[in-house]
Amino acid sequence: MKGIVFTEFLELVETKFGLEMVDKILSQSTLESNGAYTAIGTYNFSEMLQLLQNLNKNTGISIDQLLLVYAEHFFSVLTSNYSSLISAYDDPIEMLASIEGHIHVEVRKIYPDAELPTFTVVEKTKNSLIMIYKSSRAMYYFGLGLMNKTFEHFNSEATILLEKIKDDGTEVKFIITKI
Amino acid sequence: MENNELEVLKKALEREKSARKQAELILEQKSRNLLLISRELKLANQELTKLLNEKSTQLSGVFKNINDAYVVFNLSGDILEMNNNAKELFNHYSDSTLNIKKLVHKKDLEYSNQFFKQLEETGSFTNFTSRIVTSTKSTKWVQINASLIYSHSKKILGAQGIVRDISKIKKLELQKENILKELENSNNQLQEYAHIVSHDLKSPLRSLHALCSWIKEDNIDSFNETTLQNFNLIENTLENMENLISNVLEYSSAGYKIDEYEQVDLNKLLLNLKRTLFIPEHIKVNIQENLPTIKAEKTKIQQIFQNLISNSIKFIDKENGLIEICCNEKKYHYEFSISDNGIGVDKQYHNKIFNIFQSLNRNDDSTGVGLSIVKKIVNLYEGEIWLDSKLGKGTTFYFTIKK
Repeated sequence: MKGIVFTEFLELVETKFGLEMVDKILSQSTLESNGAYTAIGTYNFSEMLQLLQNLNKNTGISIDQLLLVYAEHFFSVLTSNYSSLISAYDDPIEMLASIEGHIHVEVRKIYPDAELPTFTVVEKTKNSLIMIYKSSRAMYYFGLGLMNKTFEHFNSEATILLEKIKDDGTEVKFIITKI
Repeated sequence: MENNELEVLKKALEREKSARKQAELILEQKSRNLLLISRELKLANQELTKLLNEKSTQLSGVFKNINDAYVVFNLSGDILEMNNNAKELFNHYSDSTLNIKKLVHKKDLEYSNQFFKQLEETGSFTNFTSRIVTSTKSTKWVQINASLIYSHSKKILGAQGIVRDISKIKKLELQKENILKELENSNNQLQEYAHIVSHDLKSPLRSLHALCSWIKEDNIDSFNETTLQNFNLIENTLENMENLISNVLEYSSAGYKIDEYEQVDLNKLLLNLKRTLFIPEHIKVNIQENLPTIKAEKTKIQQIFQNLISNSIKFIDKENGLIEICCNEKKYHYEFSISDNGIGVDKQYHNKIFNIFQSLNRNDDSTGVGLSIVKKIVNLYEGEIWLDSKLGKGTTFYFTIKK
């Protein structure tokens, strides 16, 4: 998993719960990296899982909720660092529909070894979109958070329903309808 | 600051330091890789530039030195580049743009459009022959081979063509055609003439012959012996004359092109000849066994043997005459020989006897046409004819026929 996901995560934990919480979840986890992350490095996904689990244990907030909030924070990182990617769009449905065909293609140019989820478009109209999320990480709530922020970014609103195709959450249907 | 707080900060600082070092290492590695890649790219680029220069030099050499006119044009026909030969061919020395499609003579326009359509559809055309009108309004015959030029992404950039001036060849071809036509005409006329002449000559001869025999019959009692003998001589001479005319006719048609080739079994042919020719009893004709079967026109081959055998029979003066017919197979041809033990031919006449009307011996039935017919036919089969002879001993005629 790319280092930027760890650095931004710890940054958010520090902002929301203080440096002590950062220190706590790091010391509660068994980390190969010893908790020292740089945005340009690559680390084991299991480290992220432990950090999430320990944060959940210490705060009582569910992992899904934590992922959702983190994704909303991460969207602001994307808009400030990769604004040109987002400014290519003027409609949230259009942008989400081209995750696979454009955005992930661009990501791979910078991080050739990135392990990305796939978002397959099943149905698309002007105001609605149905996509299938597939990833062994089952971080679909992270996707949901990014999508919420996407609509907010374009001053738009939508209802996004999740339907698990597989129980472990490695395959999830996103039903997006613009309000 | 509380101890605990200090501890947390210290740890955070440690992590930051460690992360920075990690980042530095990663970046160092990345920049080293970049450096290596850029060095490789630079080398590859140098190689490519070198190659490009070489190819460009080669191409411009070809462009300049090629003996034909070379043009590069776009799909609407505008010539973008041409070498000096092209400028000379089109008599075009100004800087104005020439259009290759507009150079085509208006009589060839429809035909040329097909070729240019083919170029666009299939990528090339070959041996497009047409007339063009040059900048100085002269008409030339050219032959063009052209092919499309594509960019790396397979986009059509234009076309290149090699234009050859074939005006001289075309002129010679036309001349040749005309000469052949004239030749055929005059040959036909000649044959027709020979037919008419021989026919016209023969009918008064026949009348003469008839008149002679009537006079003879009417006066059989009143004419004395000498007069009757003279009348017989007149009749013989008339018959000779008719033979001569027939032979001339035969000669005039002997040299004509071989229309049909067939398998001619020479064993059968000669056996048949032996049966039909009048061979006096004192002459023996020996034919070699297992003669080949050749590809030729039967009547012409028969004419050769018939003439040569008749010739031998005519000139045999011995009590026991002998004629021998042999064949010798060579790599590219068959060599035939017909020998006799006749009077022989003096060396000085060896070439002469093949000329028409050159009968050495004014025999009654020798018109001097036979050997010239034989020579004509042998020549038709790309063969040769010659003879070997000793005066008083005999003669051998040899001839070859191409396999």
